[in-house]
Amino acid sequence: MKRRKLLSLFLVAAMVLTMAGCGGKSAADAMGEEQPDTAQTQEQEPETEGDAQEAAEGESSAAQPAELDTSERVDLVFYVMGDAPDDEQMVEDAINEILLEKVNATIDMQFSTWTDFQQKYSLELTAGSADLIYIANWLNYGQLATSGAFEELDDLLDTVAPVLKETVGETNLDMCRVEGKIYAVPCAWAEYVCNGIKYREDLREKYDLPVPDSLENLEAYLMGIKENDPNQGLLTVTTEESQGFLTGFDAAWVFNLKYPWVNANGLPYGLASDYDSPADVYDYWYSDDFAEDMKLMKKWADLGFWSKSALSDTNNSESYKNGLCVAEVAGQNPNKQITALQDFKNDGHDDWKSEYIAYGEITNTIYPGHATQNGTAVVRGSKNPERALKVLEILMTDEEVNRLVQYGIEGVHYEIDDQGIYHNLEPAHPTFAYEGFNTWALRNGEFKLPQETDIVLNEMFDKYEKLGEQTKFPNVNIYNGFSENYDAYQAERTAVSNVMKQYLAPLQAGLVDNVDAAVEEFRQKMTDAGIEICRDGFKEQWAAYCDEYGYK
Amino acid sequence: MKIKKAGTTVVFEVITYALLAIGSIVCVFPFIIILSGSFTDNTTILTQGYSILPRDFTLSAYQTIFRAPRDILQAYKMTLYYTVVGTAVGLFMITLTGYVISRKEFKYRNQVSFLIYFTSIFGGGMIPWYLMYANVLNMKGSTFAIWFPALMSPFLVILMRTFIVGSVPDAITESAKIDGAGHFTIFIKIVMPVLKPGLATVGLFLALGYWNDWYRSSMFSTNSLTWELQFYLYDLLNATTALKQMTQGTGISTAQLPTESVKLAMAVVATGPILLLYPFVQKYFVSGITVGAVKG
Amino acid sequence: MEKELKLLPRFNSILDKEFAGRQTGVFITAAVSLLNIVLSLPFLSWINLVNIPVLFPRLKITRDMAENIFQGYSIFNLLSFVKESNQGMIGLYAMILLVILAAALYFNAAYAVRVIFNLKGNKGNLIIYATGRTAMIFQMMLAGAAFGYTVFANSKFGMRGFQASPVVYIVFVLSLLSYLAVKVMESYERAVYKEHGILEEIRKNWVLFIMLIPTFVYFMINNYLPMIGVYYAFTNFNFRDGLWASPFIGFKNFDFLIKADLFRLTRNTILYNLVFIGVGNILQIIFAIFVSQVTVKWFKKTSQTLMFMPYFVSFVILKVLVYNIFEYQYGLINNIVTSMGGDRIDFYNTPSYWPVLITLFYLWKNIGYGMVVYLATIIGIDTEYYEAAKVDGANIFQQIWYITLPLVKPTFIILLLYALGSIMKGQFELFYQMIGNNGVLYNVTDIFDTYVYRITMTQPLSIGLGTAAGLYQSLFGFIIVVLINFLVKRRNPEYALF
Repeated sequence: MKRRKLLSLFLVAAMVLTMAGCGGKSAADAMGEEQPDTAQTQEQEPETEGDAQEAAEGESSAAQPAELDTSERVDLVFYVMGDAPDDEQMVEDAINEILLEKVNATIDMQFSTWTDFQQKYSLELTAGSADLIYIANWLNYGQLATSGAFEELDDLLDTVAPVLKETVGETNLDMCRVEGKIYAVPCAWAEYVCNGIKYREDLREKYDLPVPDSLENLEAYLMGIKENDPNQGLLTVTTEESQGFLTGFDAAWVFNLKYPWVNANGLPYGLASDYDSPADVYDYWYSDDFAEDMKLMKKWADLGFWSKSALSDTNNSESYKNGLCVAEVAGQNPNKQITALQDFKNDGHDDWKSEYIAYGEITNTIYPGHATQNGTAVVRGSKNPERALKVLEILMTDEEVNRLVQYGIEGVHYEIDDQGIYHNLEPAHPTFAYEGFNTWALRNGEFKLPQETDIVLNEMFDKYEKLGEQTKFPNVNIYNGFSENYDAYQAERTAVSNVMKQYLAPLQAGLVDNVDAAVEEFRQKMTDAGIEICRDGFKEQWAAYCDEYGYK
Repeated sequence: MKIKKAGTTVVFEVITYALLAIGSIVCVFPFIIILSGSFTDNTTILTQGYSILPRDFTLSAYQTIFRAPRDILQAYKMTLYYTVVGTAVGLFMITLTGYVISRKEFKYRNQVSFLIYFTSIFGGGMIPWYLMYANVLNMKGSTFAIWFPALMSPFLVILMRTFIVGSVPDAITESAKIDGAGHFTIFIKIVMPVLKPGLATVGLFLALGYWNDWYRSSMFSTNSLTWELQFYLYDLLNATTALKQMTQGTGISTAQLPTESVKLAMAVVATGPILLLYPFVQKYFVSGITVGAVKG
Repeated sequence: MEKELKLLPRFNSILDKEFAGRQTGVFITAAVSLLNIVLSLPFLSWINLVNIPVLFPRLKITRDMAENIFQGYSIFNLLSFVKESNQGMIGLYAMILLVILAAALYFNAAYAVRVIFNLKGNKGNLIIYATGRTAMIFQMMLAGAAFGYTVFANSKFGMRGFQASPVVYIVFVLSLLSYLAVKVMESYERAVYKEHGILEEIRKNWVLFIMLIPTFVYFMINNYLPMIGVYYAFTNFNFRDGLWASPFIGFKNFDFLIKADLFRLTRNTILYNLVFIGVGNILQIIFAIFVSQVTVKWFKKTSQTLMFMPYFVSFVILKVLVYNIFEYQYGLINNIVTSMGGDRIDFYNTPSYWPVLITLFYLWKNIGYGMVVYLATIIGIDTEYYEAAKVDGANIFQQIWYITLPLVKPTFIILLLYALGSIMKGQFELFYQMIGNNGVLYNVTDIFDTYVYRITMTQPLSIGLGTAAGLYQSLFGFIIVVLINFLVKRRNPEYALF
């Protein structure tokens, strides 16, 4: 009895084996002759999960800038960076009153705060709870758009927000294209963020030193101050906070004085190309120039231009403001110069004078900021993409609403004087500061109220605009329009980033004993980390980009 | 009654007092620097460094922090609320669980302990955790999302089990059971009273966890009215680094950033109250001994 | 139970027959276990693709993609289908199947081994039956889930494209029968040993179960449900497809860990943690004993409070303090050194100082905090022990050695075991703030967490990467804890964590 039972069990097993054993074959043969069909399906738009997408496309087929159906009230969320102003609710109420009347919608601003904001920004997109979101290239706009985080706006702009499209302008919108599609609406206000050197003009005059417009003059300027006042701090530099692939240590920014690069600090992975010939990429890290430059850094470090512990320096935000250093070379821009002027005045240092010299002035590579530096996008998965875009249009193009969202309520938060200058009514502790919602992406040159400091700033911008005209590509920001897709070499890229921290930073900080040996070691480690793979990947994409836009 | 101390005891006491004194000084020293720094003029700190006594005494750092007293008082209030609610509910749940998994007659006590412990090793990471509260439970912006996630921790549950096993002999609960007492009666009448040092320890850890937390506000708060105190201060600190990073490539005018002395004053403001609370908790550590002494 | 027995009298009589001195049923069900293992092996397909000419275009599978796609899949290579066909959505499901498969294989093998070698526990065959029951439950779950998979996939694509192979049905039926058989045998054995099952346990201790309900809810919400997220470790996330439908990429995310200097990172992390755990606990015990022995009340309270204070110093502040102490030109230490005529010490460019410094600051920050647990334990010790020892003439050192330390031991072991589970998880804030971006010090100060933090910073969409790193840490800690817990349990079950 039991034998038979066991036997039958194994019989069953054998049967199963024969029946199921044929599964390992490739399925290609079984596909049949459906080939052409398949290919066609491939060509079509990838289908998405969200209904919103389909709804959006349905809308676009209506073609006409038809009346938006506003019968149902919607409550939208606008996610922006930074901290909320005290009077958030009051201003929102004022805006919503108008929005309800115009498009039957309300808006709720949500703020990232400055804690872990990068992480929370991607979380917000993952969770998809916002409708409108602030975008910028420093928030990886390019990569996020490629990855499908935002709604495509090409058609929606025509059907829902033609006024917005006109206000911002085709050129600006084109700069926000990623893989041919528009995913964001940039602000309608051009600015120049030319990096440069901020230095103490009063000290320069006092000791009769040269203007730091070249490496030699910068050295002479710093040396001169050191000789006259040995206790004076000179430069405050530290390891790069942001994870760029350009430099490892702040001091290396000074080489922008020497090279007319297409972008501050060149191209990633130790590559470089000149502004006049962007497609002509050459090697920097493995060149003799690099070794020479590192020797200069060593010399400067030995001269005591910065602290020997600078790699770990933590306290650099206020050095210039408090006179602890006499020049800043990394991450500076005209706005920071204005801030310094203001700080000196507020702190009662009336005899201190700050002066600014842009690297591009010397190397003739002045270009404006890129449109993707401030923009707004519609989050993929938003239930009301049309309404969201419509609201964005109102926020940007309606003077009353734009003023409200940017400056708060007139008479409560700010006033405009006879010259049309903006004044906050509670300057000591503003309940709604200038651009208090941090909606830098909603700037509209037409309605923008100038602050007192904007007079100086605009002078600087005018100067740079003229200089920008004289370049080979007049007033074009070439590099920031490019977004790299590094999926294929992520692992190598990570390794390269580590080598930069470990070997490039001490080199650029001049903290090695033997520069030649350290350069050799750095290059070796880079090669081991697979820099060539990153470079090949980057070069290929960069060449294609330059080709597409005619940057020859 | 005075007993003559043995030589070894004297030696031991000398060592004890000496080492504790040294330890205390080492521990309190940085705190004194922070305290004095918070009363020092900012420029003085930057140019001359830290000192033990304040130089150029000023209250301006505290004035800056309390310039908007509404905000900081609100943050205090909320933190107090989270700490009280979280500690009370959490302590109750932890003690209950500790009691159950310390019962010998509970067949699955090892399995349950394992399942609880397992969560301290394995996790799905922050993203699914965030989505659980934000999207599934739709709790973003609520105070619930701030106190609930920290109610229990495997560490505290297991610590509580150890305390219960150590301080409640089986014989006592067995005899109570024979007298017809149910689990809840045993738990409240017998276990809780003898567990004072354990309750104080776990409660202290829970309360500290709530007091020091800023992460959940960072993740779930949509309105500064629900911010925890530490987040209120931490966010100000972070603004410095964040804005520096961000404004390199773009022309965003920066708001007023906190100065060094303000940072130090914040540390004092955030720490002060809980330091006043700690001696209060200490009472329970001491009382454990006196109960024993009376018995002896 | 009684009912079941009446329903299956004949079935029962077969099971009960003696064979080699034991019940036949045990051998039959063990054979089913072995058969289950065989049927689960990779060369048998569980799920077949049918109607391929219609199905593939619907899945947007092209001809060259189809080259790598099979007509039939076992559970083992089911994930490869997900990968080759870019069907992220069913990837998670395949993942769950794989986990159940692993459990089923483990318990089936364990059951077979236990039966063959007759490994009994202290309660007769009960442990064997429990294993068998678990094995069969998992096997049924596996078959059920595999069937569910086809239903799920078919409904997702709106056609009959996936079919469960006969293996699935056979496995299910066999496992169900074996399960019942084991259950019947178990009920006899239980009667012998007066053991009971879960229903009986719930009836008896329902109050305890009710006490656990809030805990259950909490850990489900906070820990167990989000655990599904480990699936992200095997995907390449993009927003277009979302969290669950992003392409499945197998172990590619783990490449980062392997390409990193994994050995060095693991070594650093473990060494630091061992020192932290070892030295930290010893000092905490010593200071707890000190504090408990102090009789002057104000001194006791003050020293305890003061030692607790460093815990409140946030790392952001600590970083600034440390920099001001160790800076080259103006730092406190170098000022002292130069005023005594010495040479300045270049701390921030000399890696060898930092392991010691980091350890010191860790101890500084945590001794007062960790001491509380030991203090509470020591206070809980009955003073009668000490009185008795004093009568016997034991001096203070002997009292500590023979009374305090042995009674502190259980707490110590629990804390130790607990800490070991996180041996691959470092004190991120401590290292990150103290070292920051100073690459010169990385060789000796880079731990796993700081490394992962840096790589995730270079990539905005590194969800998979971060999860993969976490998974590695968890697995590492898990294996260590299970091993050590096993050893502890063999010596003294009272001390074991679980």
